[in-house]
Amino acid sequence: MNEPNDNDVNEEFATQAKELFDDSVERLDAAALSRLNQGRHAAIEQLQSGHSANVWGRWVPATGIAAAALVAVMVMRGPEMDDMPAEPVTDFEILLEGESLEMFEDLEFYSWLEAADLDANGNVG
Amino acid sequence: MDLIGASTGVFAVSCTRESLSGAGTLQRERQLNQFLADVERRALRIAEIAVRDRDEALDLVQDAMIKLVNNYAGRPDAEWTPLFYRILQNGIRDWHRRQKVRNRVMVWFGRCGAGEDHYDPVAHAPDPAGRSPDEELQTGQAMEKLAGAVHALPTRQREAFMLRTFEGLDVAGTAVAMGCSEGSVKTHYSRAVHTLRDKLGEHWR
Repeated sequence: MNEPNDNDVNEEFATQAKELFDDSVERLDAAALSRLNQGRHAAIEQLQSGHSANVWGRWVPATGIAAAALVAVMVMRGPEMDDMPAEPVTDFEILLEGESLEMFEDLEFYSWLEAADLDANGNVG
Repeated sequence: MDLIGASTGVFAVSCTRESLSGAGTLQRERQLNQFLADVERRALRIAEIAVRDRDEALDLVQDAMIKLVNNYAGRPDAEWTPLFYRILQNGIRDWHRRQKVRNRVMVWFGRCGAGEDHYDPVAHAPDPAGRSPDEELQTGQAMEKLAGAVHALPTRQREAFMLRTFEGLDVAGTAVAMGCSEGSVKTHYSRAVHTLRDKLGEHWR
């Protein structure tokens, strides 16, 4: 009799794990389901409210940049300006670069999305 | 999506939402609601296994829902699943980072966070319908063992295993959700399965 190969054993293991997981999903209690429902509705309300959070969100970077600029000006125009010629500029850049770092982290992902042809199930065609 | 703008700062805004108005918005709402309803329970259990705390897991899932709606409602719905799990996995990773910092602070103040590892998924599960207590106990114990072993995996292996096995994403979708190559997904997944098989043995259920 042939021994089952490693792939078969792995598949069998994954199937059993999936069955157990699905069973635990089915057994979620009413309190958890209720909170999920509330969370979902809260998320959908973001769409209904015309992205009010995003309107606020658009002002946050501007406020942050303004605050960073103010800090930079205060630092550069401070009494010890002559003693630190380069560091204020570095600090200023660091204060401003948070947003762009986040964007660059996702660039590869967005490029992948563009290149990939996703079908209706989210699979790559 | 405007990928041309990717090299500029406006990209983050331009990719987040396309024009959603009137009937289109209503239809999108329905689609999003259906998508989230389909995915939320599995997402909760996946987050719960990763962080071992139901309340924290619920918060993480809700955050992921809100971020998906805010940032990707205008994306084709076929992309929502990997996008949603990418957001959720990022949230889980951030949660673990915060926990590490928090634990360091606790140690500094002489508290070692005792009791945090006593989370019991079985205790959180309701009584199942139509099963004997013995069967329930057996299934619950097997799931507890599996959840403990999955939780103990290295982060990337845990992500690959849960997304592939529990959520049923294919290799490409898992790669999107994890933000890595398909080759990495295969490697992490394979290592995860071998580690779990070794740890749980042949007769774990």
